[in-house]
Amino acid sequence: MAVIDPHINIDDYEPEGDLVVLNLGPQHPSTHGVLRVKLWLDGEVCIKAVPYLGYLHRGVEKLCEKLTYVMVTPIIDKNDYLAPITNEWAINNSFEQLLGVTPPPRSQYLRTICAEIQRVASHLLWLGTFGLDMGGALGGGATLFMHTFRERETVLDLFEALTGARFHYNTLCVGGNRHDIPAGWDVLVRQTLGVIASRIDEYESMVHENAIFLARTVGVGVVDPVLARALGVSGPNLRASGVDWDLRRDAPYGAYGDVQIKVPVRTEGDCFARYLVRVEEMRESIRIALQLLDGVPEGPICALKPVKLPGAVKIKPGIGYASIETPRGELGSWVIADGTERPYRCKIRPPSLHTVALLPYLAPGNNLSDIVVVLGSLDPVLGEVDR
Amino acid sequence: MNPWLAGALWGLVVVTGAMIVAAWSTWFERKFAGAMQNRPGPTEVGPVGLLQPIADLLKLLQKADIIPRTADPVLFNVAAPLGLILVLATLAVVPWAPGLVPADLDIGVLFALSISSLMVVPVFMAGWGSNNKYALLGGMRAIAQAVSFEVPLLLAALVPIILTGSFRISDIIAAQADGHWFALWPPGPGALAFVLFFLCSLAEANRIPFDIPEAESELVAGITTEYTGMKFGLLYLAEYMHTLVSSIMAAALFLGGWDGPGPDGPHWLLIKSLLLFAGIFWVRWSFLRFRGDQLMNLAWKKGIPLGLAVVMASALWVHFT
Amino acid sequence: MKLLDTLRISGRNLFRPKTTTPLPWKGTRPRAARFRTSFALLHDEHGDQACIGCKMCEKICPSFIITVVPGGRAVSEKTGKSRGWCADFTLDAGACISCELCVQVCPTDAIVMLQVPAEVGFSREDLLLTMERLYANEKPGTAAWSTGSGLIAMQEPPKPPKPAEAAKPAETPKAPETTT
Repeated sequence: MAVIDPHINIDDYEPEGDLVVLNLGPQHPSTHGVLRVKLWLDGEVCIKAVPYLGYLHRGVEKLCEKLTYVMVTPIIDKNDYLAPITNEWAINNSFEQLLGVTPPPRSQYLRTICAEIQRVASHLLWLGTFGLDMGGALGGGATLFMHTFRERETVLDLFEALTGARFHYNTLCVGGNRHDIPAGWDVLVRQTLGVIASRIDEYESMVHENAIFLARTVGVGVVDPVLARALGVSGPNLRASGVDWDLRRDAPYGAYGDVQIKVPVRTEGDCFARYLVRVEEMRESIRIALQLLDGVPEGPICALKPVKLPGAVKIKPGIGYASIETPRGELGSWVIADGTERPYRCKIRPPSLHTVALLPYLAPGNNLSDIVVVLGSLDPVLGEVDR
Repeated sequence: MNPWLAGALWGLVVVTGAMIVAAWSTWFERKFAGAMQNRPGPTEVGPVGLLQPIADLLKLLQKADIIPRTADPVLFNVAAPLGLILVLATLAVVPWAPGLVPADLDIGVLFALSISSLMVVPVFMAGWGSNNKYALLGGMRAIAQAVSFEVPLLLAALVPIILTGSFRISDIIAAQADGHWFALWPPGPGALAFVLFFLCSLAEANRIPFDIPEAESELVAGITTEYTGMKFGLLYLAEYMHTLVSSIMAAALFLGGWDGPGPDGPHWLLIKSLLLFAGIFWVRWSFLRFRGDQLMNLAWKKGIPLGLAVVMASALWVHFT
Repeated sequence: MKLLDTLRISGRNLFRPKTTTPLPWKGTRPRAARFRTSFALLHDEHGDQACIGCKMCEKICPSFIITVVPGGRAVSEKTGKSRGWCADFTLDAGACISCELCVQVCPTDAIVMLQVPAEVGFSREDLLLTMERLYANEKPGTAAWSTGSGLIAMQEPPKPPKPAEAAKPAETPKAPETTT
């Protein structure tokens, strides 16, 4: 088993021997989108793995330079397509930072609640697809997948009631939110989150101590914390490796300053630790959302005048960077303003890109079956990797 | 009656019946999986989707029959029907009621097991002939799995043979008359051998949690990656038939075959094997999949010692009673 | 045996109610009041076409899919007042991302989104919402809750406090009941 130094260029590493070169993807059931990983296999054991990106490149960053500040939000929604609200939040945070505007407290609370229930939805989807990676589309994995989707749909129903869209909401704008809480929404949220909390226990008893699940995940794909930090990995993948780093607690934004956040951390760094961290995070997110729901302040939801013109927001020259904790890690957005109604440059720092960078170091020495599981446990979203 | 004519008639009846059961078992499985996943399953074709297998058949027949340019045409084309033929051949030795058996071979168990272990040949032919890396990996895995699980399967099947003293399946069933099923009696080895036999036949039939040759999340579709249309359908049907035949064999060897409360007859064998079949679905739609090397460990380190132990135990039982 | 636990859970789910939505011809799932998919153009309270051809939606659309041809100013026969008119309006729903910005900026509440999805088409042209199709979509009870003025009223920040009493003008409008 070859251990690769994280500081060498992976292309310079030449595997030896009579190997099979296998292209895992871009059309493959379990690469979570259109990731292509070129594998050098000895039998079924991987010797070298190189991920190739760009199959889902849409030029979002360039598009942002073309659009005005108010038009950027719906476009940026599509980056991390499993947690759209976090994309909106990150980019609008950097716009607001440049403008020197703080959203009103009601908007902050609403954003935080949305982000937390979005985290639940995203992790539910992850759990289902993780099951698919191990159990196949015609087996127990599919059952787990359908069960998690059953719950995820109810979360999307919440977003539908709030914003009118089940996905790609366009519910945030520069300076606040576009949609206020409809009547009865908090009751709906409480009800839904209560059901999900009980169902999470059910998933746990289904997979958590299941011998097959343990055999497939424990000790597989161990991420070294030093390697993880060197590659800029963040989020649950980093916390599963024992690095206690969560922007929600360490650099509070939104309404996170008003709640106690317990950050689950595991030290094993394997697939099972990543599973445990995500399941704990789901529980924690439900707790945070319910806690915040009790104290949503009254008041306006937007600090600026409502958008009536495409060029409603103009920002003085400057550079803004804001980062938030998405379900996948630290999502940063870096914006240069030049005084017009359009950003001069817009750079997204996606957490998934850094996660995919782990693959060349995790895959060698693993069975082909385990590579799929490792990739699944890292939870990359290709829309965000390729942008 | 002319034995050739009788054989042909028997073959027609058994094969048609098994095909029908296998085809509608896909409907049952889809309904069952749907219920387990809180969705309705097929509803549109016929009442509660009962005609779905026919619609599937028509769809598969309409599909373009693609043979990849680089594939080995002989292996690729022969593999699909060969698998089905082999599986159906096993049914020849299954006795449905006293005297009601297509071919009452005196080495019936041996015949059935050897034919079912031959199933790996068409699977590897499909994997090799497709000239696709995923299919090849699937075929390799199938061979490794078949070789490993063949041994504990045979050891488990030895238990009823030792207890009866005959290889003839009708003798084995007759020895289980009046509720003395080998899965219940003798208490220890019989039940263990039944579980072992059942699990190993799951592995032989490439069922979850042992379906690594087809692992669709890793190998796209394993051996069936390059297959289209009815050839894919035949491979699929062969797999279902293999599962069905495995449950019939388990019911005959361990659950008393035609024996049951009330009048004995073919219906009991059918009911028992269908219940086992449903159990396989339940397992299939609940469990994740093992990794290849873990399966080998399971077979060689757990299965074979357990098989040897139950064989020894049943031999001792026979010796002392 | 935790493996049996797995079987127990999956067995229990056999008896849960079905949660999937029915097939389209067997009913629809309840949609929230704000649910938005397709588009319609509305008439105003006098019966005139409400669109005045101001091209605001065309300018704010992030996908650049709306084309408005203004028809110049003319006197309305219904009210006798001079106002702008729209000569042609095209919306390519095939590239629409349902962001609702066009609804928000519309000064006359002329364009709204619908709760009822558009019909499935067989070609790209079927997804092209021309002016006639947009006005044909105007049916009672199908529009989503949001209109331009409604959204603006919802987002309006409080006016700078002139007198102490004026702090309540931007009270958020009573949002309709959700149907889910």
